[in-house]
Amino acid sequence: MRRSVRWTLCASVVTALAMFLAACGGNDNGGGGGGGGTVTTQTKVQEGKKGGSLTFLAAGDVDWMDPGQTYYTFGYQVAYAVNRTLYSFKPDDSIKPVPDLAEGEPEISADNKTVTVHLKKGIKYAPPVNREVKAADIKYAFERSFSKEVPSGYAGTYFGTIVGTPDKPNSGDIKPISGIETPDDSTIVFKLKDATAPLISQALVMPITTPVPQEYAEKYDKSTPSKYNQYVAFTGPYMVKNDPTTGKLTGWQPGKQIQMVRNPNWDAKTDYRPAYLDSVTIEEGNDDLTTAARRALNGSGLACCDSGAPPAPVLKQALQRNKDQVVFVPSGGTRYIAFNMTVKPFDNINIRKAIIAFSDRNALRLTRGGAVLGDIATGWIPPDFPGFKEGGGLKQNTDLDYLKNPNGDPALAKKYMLAAKKDDPSLPIDANGKWTGGEKILTVATNADPGKKTAEVFQGQIEQLGFKLNFRVVPQDSLYTKFCSEPEAKVAICPNVGWFKDFVDPQSMLDATFNGKNILQHGNVNWPQLNVPAINDAMKQASTLAVGTERNTAWAKINHMIAEQAPAIPWIWDKSATVASKNVQLVVNGYDTAMDLNFSSLK
Amino acid sequence: MALLEVKDLKVHFETDDGIVQAVDGVSYTVDRGQALGIVGESGSGKSVSSLTVMGLTRFAGNARISGSITFDGKDLLAASDEELRRLRGNDVAMIFQDPLSSLHPFYKIGDQLVEAVQAHRDTSKAQAMDRAVEMLGLVGIPEPRRRVESYPHEFSGGMRQRVMIAMALINDPKLLIADEPTTALDVTVQAQILDLIQRLQRELDTAIVMITHDLGVVAEVADDIGVMYAGRIVEYAAKETIFAAPEHPYTWGLLKSIPRLDSPRGEELVPIPGRPPSLILKPTGCAFHPRCFYVREAHTRIDPQLAPAGEAGNGDNRVGAAGHGHEVACLLPGQTRRALWAALQAGEVPDAALERVDVPETAVDREAVGEVLAPAPSDEAPVPPEETAP
Amino acid sequence: MAAFIIRRLLWMVVLLLVISFLTYIIFYTLPAADPVALRAGRLATPELRASIEHTLGLDKPWYIQYLKYLDRLVLHFDFGYSYQNSISVKSQIFDRLPATGALAVGGALVWLLVGIPVGIISAIKRGTWMDRLAMGGALVAISAPVYWLGLVSLYLFSKGLGKIPLFEGQGAYPNTGTIVSDPGHVIPALILPWCVLAASFAAVYARFLRGNLLETMSEDYIRTARAKGLRERAVVFKHGVRSAITPIVTILGLDLGILLGGAILTETVFNIPGIGRLAYDAIQKSDLPTVQGTVLMGAFFIILLNLVVDVIYAFLDPRVRY
Repeated sequence: MRRSVRWTLCASVVTALAMFLAACGGNDNGGGGGGGGTVTTQTKVQEGKKGGSLTFLAAGDVDWMDPGQTYYTFGYQVAYAVNRTLYSFKPDDSIKPVPDLAEGEPEISADNKTVTVHLKKGIKYAPPVNREVKAADIKYAFERSFSKEVPSGYAGTYFGTIVGTPDKPNSGDIKPISGIETPDDSTIVFKLKDATAPLISQALVMPITTPVPQEYAEKYDKSTPSKYNQYVAFTGPYMVKNDPTTGKLTGWQPGKQIQMVRNPNWDAKTDYRPAYLDSVTIEEGNDDLTTAARRALNGSGLACCDSGAPPAPVLKQALQRNKDQVVFVPSGGTRYIAFNMTVKPFDNINIRKAIIAFSDRNALRLTRGGAVLGDIATGWIPPDFPGFKEGGGLKQNTDLDYLKNPNGDPALAKKYMLAAKKDDPSLPIDANGKWTGGEKILTVATNADPGKKTAEVFQGQIEQLGFKLNFRVVPQDSLYTKFCSEPEAKVAICPNVGWFKDFVDPQSMLDATFNGKNILQHGNVNWPQLNVPAINDAMKQASTLAVGTERNTAWAKINHMIAEQAPAIPWIWDKSATVASKNVQLVVNGYDTAMDLNFSSLK
Repeated sequence: MALLEVKDLKVHFETDDGIVQAVDGVSYTVDRGQALGIVGESGSGKSVSSLTVMGLTRFAGNARISGSITFDGKDLLAASDEELRRLRGNDVAMIFQDPLSSLHPFYKIGDQLVEAVQAHRDTSKAQAMDRAVEMLGLVGIPEPRRRVESYPHEFSGGMRQRVMIAMALINDPKLLIADEPTTALDVTVQAQILDLIQRLQRELDTAIVMITHDLGVVAEVADDIGVMYAGRIVEYAAKETIFAAPEHPYTWGLLKSIPRLDSPRGEELVPIPGRPPSLILKPTGCAFHPRCFYVREAHTRIDPQLAPAGEAGNGDNRVGAAGHGHEVACLLPGQTRRALWAALQAGEVPDAALERVDVPETAVDREAVGEVLAPAPSDEAPVPPEETAP
Repeated sequence: MAAFIIRRLLWMVVLLLVISFLTYIIFYTLPAADPVALRAGRLATPELRASIEHTLGLDKPWYIQYLKYLDRLVLHFDFGYSYQNSISVKSQIFDRLPATGALAVGGALVWLLVGIPVGIISAIKRGTWMDRLAMGGALVAISAPVYWLGLVSLYLFSKGLGKIPLFEGQGAYPNTGTIVSDPGHVIPALILPWCVLAASFAAVYARFLRGNLLETMSEDYIRTARAKGLRERAVVFKHGVRSAITPIVTILGLDLGILLGGAILTETVFNIPGIGRLAYDAIQKSDLPTVQGTVLMGAFFIILLNLVVDVIYAFLDPRVRY
């Protein structure tokens, strides 16, 4: 996503399966509460006033309107206002999902191989479908997500253990999945190949569980790729304005706007959402978020922005003048500067340590707006995450001298540089610990602020140590798909990488990003290409531990092991901020860390 | 009373490089129905003087004009812009060297002629168009009724000049200024155009000022001829006198540099050496001295004034109704001049003539001779400020 | 003339083919990003990548893809579907064309209405304080980047942000409706963008016209017009300006053609949903079908307006004949 480092919320890794198996194994009812930590949001949900319309200013567009495909934060933000899933999250509790379409908690069989969910009655689709939601609609939603017409990014990895799902996801037309049964219109049963019911039940919050009426959607799903994206049948408190006869989404002009109005068939009695606002318009294309955020702060009935971070100067100003118009929530992630350990001289650990020691992370954080925008990171388990406390909290890994001083420690850097010289006398390092090599080090940064500024500040720092950079700036989309996530590109330093939570579990923070087994030829997210057998093994072991202190401690230890390898400079555990006009009662959902359109209201 | 009387006209242009003394004390008269030829090389100021008569040098914005121009009893230098505009194209008309660039490329011939009529006459477009067609017929454009619909680029060069002449004469002007009207044309066409101008002059009784570098052209058309050099008239006489008894070495040069049917067979053509002088930094003394075969040291110091030539007071030399005699601005003694011309006339080259004729070192002191007819340069004449000279 | 136009139209088809081919080649040699990776997300399995490649048709050799593209384009006037969100490129382009059209054409009107009088006055009053003021202003307007000018105008004059909130600002452009169907909202929303877009163009046109007119006023036919005794006003306007302004048609055609392909900066600053932004986003996302569509559309306008200019020129200048 070009405006945010956050890629996706609920996409998962195969290893997550194992984790949840372990986490919830043996727990008979295990439904819902899977997390072992406490993530608190700063949102206090107050009662709102009914009515009025709000305009949300966004730079980009939703990735997909199709609930079977949406994959990014902004897509989720809209999806959870116009669709209903089996389970979903209240804004102030991002750990325990609440039943949405479901009547109650999922029923998990004793062998952990069957999940049964009962649906509420009386939930109807918005026009033009108008009929009641049936269990078969959810079954169809799953089936289409396993077809090539609807290339869902996570169906295969996450729900692949359902019996009858194709081995290779998305191959072939929409075919029935035998493992999903609907004994009656309000019951859906998932039969699983393995004992993964706790995981599956946890994942029923995902948009893939949004019902799709087969008789209506089929004709759109027949084309490759599906056209349902522009004909979605809604169940949420809101709906995107559509043509009442064909269902074509007239209120969504991609890149321009999304107009959401009340869904006339939505029954408040069946839903926990208050849905105060009468209508929400998302005004897209506000590439200049500085101006957009100022408009939101000065105006009325406006909120901003989709990137989770209005530019720092505006935020600073807002915090001074309109404090109550800004809401922060921890974004559950770490931003760091990754060294490619397969590229010289970053294969030398003392070089890496020297640079970390030298780096002024306080200065780096200032490029995002300073302390209000987050704490200085010293590892990869963000605040309030399971494992954070166990690892030493904000002081995690500060026993390592190079992570101790947030303002940088030139003397220590010199020490490590000289140590590197001792390791390998051929390295071009002078007596003062300065790098004297002439070869330029390929560094690829984003071309958009604040990431670009961060990278530039880092460039200034590393050049003081004598390193010369071949500093390239590229669009955010190219940054990953052409450079940092492509090992072949041999980028030595990626100053703009970051990783944000998939699950409220430490494994999701460390496994994909530092497990040597997860290095991929394309789309690699183990950016340092850290491949230390001891760490890989520790991860394998820790993933089998049940949720609780032991598990958290194990992952905190892995977090420390990673830090010992100095593969990257963690510099901020950031918060995502949303700003709104004075007359907007802003509520942010801690789950997707975006403005909650169902709970926000006008004062 | 003369139709046009120009007295001591000076036109200086202020430029970044200095003051261009384009016209520097020119006097001439033209009577009704009479034709005056002004001859000189390009850059001699001959065009500027007539543009000033038309008031066209005013548009340059940087022209300083002094002296006097009286047309039909009216002081043109004192006239308002609007008075001059009424005069232009109505009482005084002008045709130019390049008829293609002088006609607007985007407008039909007929419309351009109509415009000329309607600028001065309150007539309908149809009436004006009839007049245009009549004039085009008069200047010899075939099928004029059809041709008014044509654009300038659809005409040949000669036809275009005919159009220009028709446009100039469309309001029956009293004076036509023709600025190199044939220069841009083929030789065969040149004669036709000159014939046309002469014919129209006779028929319409228009006075003409013909400006040209080509003595051959004025030989046909003009009654009187003024020879201009470096912004001054250096010789002024009846046409016959200029051809038969010219007294200025520059005029000799012009005459000797054109082929003539009546000149002796085998006679060499002698070009005038050098180039016309800069009008910003004129040579001292006689402006022609750097190019003159017969120059003496004194000539580089003394500025010759226009004075009667030939046998002073001899009535034969009086020309035209204006009553000017043959005048010349040369520092050579009259006898010497006549002797030199006689030698040249006999077919000798200038060097040979010099060997035969003794040219005195001293210049003719005009004060002593007391032959001054031309007024002495007035004190208030614009003098270039020293600092602007490069 | 008809033969000329037909010949040129045929050339246009050839040119568009060449351009589409070049766009394809450039995309394949220098893609901005990997469309498959963008669509697959951060944890793409090889299977998912393969499936997306197949869905987008990227698993076939590029020339097959190109031929298929041409086939759809030529036979069905179908620009294909966005790699990013599977939305019809044609519908996207036609949805956004009115905004860019209104911005470009309105902007052109503004810059002509400002640039032409300023240029003429400057030329006539050459060297006076008016000329100096106008040309000094023009220099400033040319030097000011559109982006900066746009932001300054927003923070000075836009409602909701500006110190003197006179005009509609960012995001005022209605997302439904065009200048024809909804002038009441579109025109106020475009006032600032028009001015910002027009500023540098007006300056260029004023300078261009001034220079042209000064040159024209020393032409022989201007002397003739004066010698005819025409009033100075007629000399300047009917003879001088008429000639001096003709070349403006040429640059106007080119400028308008380029702008119809998208006025990216102005569209971005004021959040006007036009072709330029569509193209810019598509390039960033390596969304080839959308890039192709917008490039072809831009090229089409440039070529078409060139042809229109040539035809108009024939009417303006009788010497030009085809």
